[in-house]
Amino acid sequence: MGKEIPAEKSLNLIRGRLCDPSFIFRPLSASSDSNYSKLKFIVSTSITEGCNNSILLLGPRGSGKAAVLDLVVGDLLEQFPDSVSVIRLNGLLHSDDNCAFKEIARQLCMEHHLLFSKMASFDENSHFIIAMLRECGLAHKTIIFVLDEFDMFAQGKQRLLYSLLDAMQSVTSQAVVIGISSRLDADQLLEKRVRSRFSHRKILFLPPSRDELDGLLEHLLSLPADSSFPSGYVSRFNDKIKNITSDRRFKDILKTFFNAHSTVNSFLKFIFCAVSLMNLESGLLSLENFKAALSSMQRQPKLEAVRDCSVLELYLLVCMRRLEVKEQSSYNFISVMKEYKAIHDSFQTSDYYAQNVCIRGFEHLRERQVICYAENRGQSQTGEYRPMKLLISASELHQGMRSHACCPAILLKLLDH
Amino acid sequence: MPPKEESSKVTRRSTRSSASVTVENSEPIESHTPTIDDLTFGEESITIDAVLSNFPGRRSQIFDFIRLMGPLDCPTLPIMIYGGASTGKTSVVLQVLRHLNRPFVYSSCRTCYNPRILFESILNQLLLHRKCSLNGYSSAKRCDKPSDFVNLLREALSSVIKTLESTSGTSRSDKPDEKPMGKMVYLILDNVDLIRDWDKGTIILQFLFSLYTVLKMPQLGIILISGLPPDVYYSNMGYTDPIPLYFPEYSEEDLRQIFLRNQPNRKLYSAFLDVVLKPFCRVTRRVEELSTTFSLLFRKFCEPLDDLGISPNEDMKRRLYSHLKPLIAHCLNEIFRVSSHPHDGETRGERRQKASYSSENREELEILDFHMSTSAKFLLLSAFLASRNPATLDASTFDSTGGMDNRKRKRKASEKSMEKKEIAEQEAVMKGPGSFPLERLLAIFQCIASVGDSSFGEEDEEEENTTGYDKENNNLMSDILLQVSSLCDANFLIKSGSCPLEGSIRYRSMVSEDLAQKVAKSLSFPLSKYLYRR
Repeated sequence: MGKEIPAEKSLNLIRGRLCDPSFIFRPLSASSDSNYSKLKFIVSTSITEGCNNSILLLGPRGSGKAAVLDLVVGDLLEQFPDSVSVIRLNGLLHSDDNCAFKEIARQLCMEHHLLFSKMASFDENSHFIIAMLRECGLAHKTIIFVLDEFDMFAQGKQRLLYSLLDAMQSVTSQAVVIGISSRLDADQLLEKRVRSRFSHRKILFLPPSRDELDGLLEHLLSLPADSSFPSGYVSRFNDKIKNITSDRRFKDILKTFFNAHSTVNSFLKFIFCAVSLMNLESGLLSLENFKAALSSMQRQPKLEAVRDCSVLELYLLVCMRRLEVKEQSSYNFISVMKEYKAIHDSFQTSDYYAQNVCIRGFEHLRERQVICYAENRGQSQTGEYRPMKLLISASELHQGMRSHACCPAILLKLLDH
Repeated sequence: MPPKEESSKVTRRSTRSSASVTVENSEPIESHTPTIDDLTFGEESITIDAVLSNFPGRRSQIFDFIRLMGPLDCPTLPIMIYGGASTGKTSVVLQVLRHLNRPFVYSSCRTCYNPRILFESILNQLLLHRKCSLNGYSSAKRCDKPSDFVNLLREALSSVIKTLESTSGTSRSDKPDEKPMGKMVYLILDNVDLIRDWDKGTIILQFLFSLYTVLKMPQLGIILISGLPPDVYYSNMGYTDPIPLYFPEYSEEDLRQIFLRNQPNRKLYSAFLDVVLKPFCRVTRRVEELSTTFSLLFRKFCEPLDDLGISPNEDMKRRLYSHLKPLIAHCLNEIFRVSSHPHDGETRGERRQKASYSSENREELEILDFHMSTSAKFLLLSAFLASRNPATLDASTFDSTGGMDNRKRKRKASEKSMEKKEIAEQEAVMKGPGSFPLERLLAIFQCIASVGDSSFGEEDEEEENTTGYDKENNNLMSDILLQVSSLCDANFLIKSGSCPLEGSIRYRSMVSEDLAQKVAKSLSFPLSKYLYRR
């Protein structure tokens, strides 16, 4: 038991770091021309000069936009403790205008210790918000509106955006609107009147460079030399990490990984998978952990689905493929059954089953999303007559059948002809 | 159907209410108020070996899952567990959480069939609120929008975590051997793939996948269980996908171990499995489908044995195999049914020895196994004929001589006409059964009903029957329309699109040829004479 505890503690520590965005993005944001610094500069100047502003943070999902924003907001709250308040909205939750106004009013009430009534109507909420904006402006307090999933707010009539940006045009209010979106053209979605009130400041979040990621890896995986760990363990752990990261095979693993994934979040998931495979007895990471993590991230779901099929279902798939090869553009269950019977007649296979068993096999295939109905319109037909199509390609079918545990050889032969 | 596993094979998951109710069921008012302990599995904890032995074939998945969960109080990214039906996903997750003794909240999207019920069920469990007669079976909080859910969830989680932190500080004197509960709460959502069919399902799915980032509470671990692989959830909005964990279908060896569990006589059963497992695995490898067939077959397998406790030697095995073999070939073509009359065991044995098994089975297959009135049967047949025959041939088919003249003049078919025939056949197969208006259906019905009527009289069945039918014939019209609507309800007929010019409704017959043949045989109606064959 004594040995397990430091391993568990280190595991807890590293996994805790991986799930904490601020820990990860602080070193990435250390340099002076990083997005963090740019954003902080813009917002802090708006606060100190008492002017309105609006910014968009754009970048693919998982590049750390919300994390960097949280870092900036945290720093600003420390720097200007009484003159900043933050309102957070999320496009997934609050895209409906009623919802959004209610949420803004609720958060404002919480900030300023006012009583919030759930029964307040939309008009009351919007009046309240405008009044609060004016009051805060007069008191030289800046309100930062964080709009996550900004493109969801840009659907519909964009009432919320217009009211916010319009309220900011008046002299007395002091507000900064920060939108976060993974759509790089989020500002093109805005209506004309909204776009005219929007200052077209955009900060793009690009994938980090290899050096930054190497630094991040080291930052994540090195244990601190404090007294909660046995001393020899820490140095052993850190040495092992250094060994692994300088290994050529590890660099190959990373290169393969970065061929497919470019964002910070996917890198974090990869490290998470590798770290959770850590051997709890030795308490040290190894190269095998990273290899296993890489293979778990390189799943091939259609291949897995074909490997899960029973022999009858493989027959049905091969029949459908043969019909496609014969250039029959559309086929349904009855035509597949005809092909199935034809195969049985010519090759005398032992696997000839009745129609209802084959229908059940079809249903299994449809559940696994290996085949599907070709069109949704033909609802008036029974399943037997509706046209179907394969959702896997011929090469995937080939590969799946070759790696299948008990695929009969005749099927492979039939597929090739 | 939710994956059902026989209680003989794996320990049945107990619901939280049945686990924590300690009072007798006769008391109408429960005196038990839920505490933080109820968030754990509730029954006594089991060792990892017990978990592994309960789930043969799932060893690597169990270890992977435990590793992903991590040691106590370890924060975790969202996990998605996916695999086919009855592969053991839900049971493994719940049993592992029972082993780890950590508090969790379980909600299935099959029983909580819309967002409001789902959100309220999760909140009720977190707020330790139980619906009873005292509060009128209402939930603790009303919540049907994701925005409200996030706020309420945050409050509920903070209170639960505070309670957990305070209890973890004090040592638990009543259960000293139990593992500590830790400070994390896990949220398990089952059958997540069903959300796709909900109203606004994509938004809800998007919300669930980003719940972890929205909440920003590291003390919550989210586990999603899905029957479909994660690629079906890809939408054009994108999301950070959870860590996947795959449960493949069982291999044959695993199935053998699963079926051998909890069998009273393992040697006998394994001899049985030697015969049946391989052929049935070629058709399907799903546990729920195999288990129903195997339980019935095993009963037949043990029929010649007097003592079910013996372990068979080679000779006996050969005897039992030969007894069972004919039944296997037949069962492979059935779903969920071993067709045998359980009461006539001896007579069946005699009949089987006569080696007329296959023909007798055919007879059995042609018996209709549900009851329909005679007029409904005739309507069914007329609908079938109307769908299959082209309308232009009606006059010649249904003339007074009864039956079509099937003697076609033999002509050497040229290649072009053969090709045309093939293409026409393909098109016919693709289009499916044709549609017909109501008038044609009634016309055909009247023709064949009169034919059937006369054949009834010829066969000299019970006299009351024929006379009764005669009388009914006059008042048949209203009954017929009723029968048509009940056939529509039973999905033997469906309404297809109506012709825009005429405006009358057209029907389509959905009956397969097998069923039509069975119905015709029960009426002694010569169906093949009327069926148009190209």
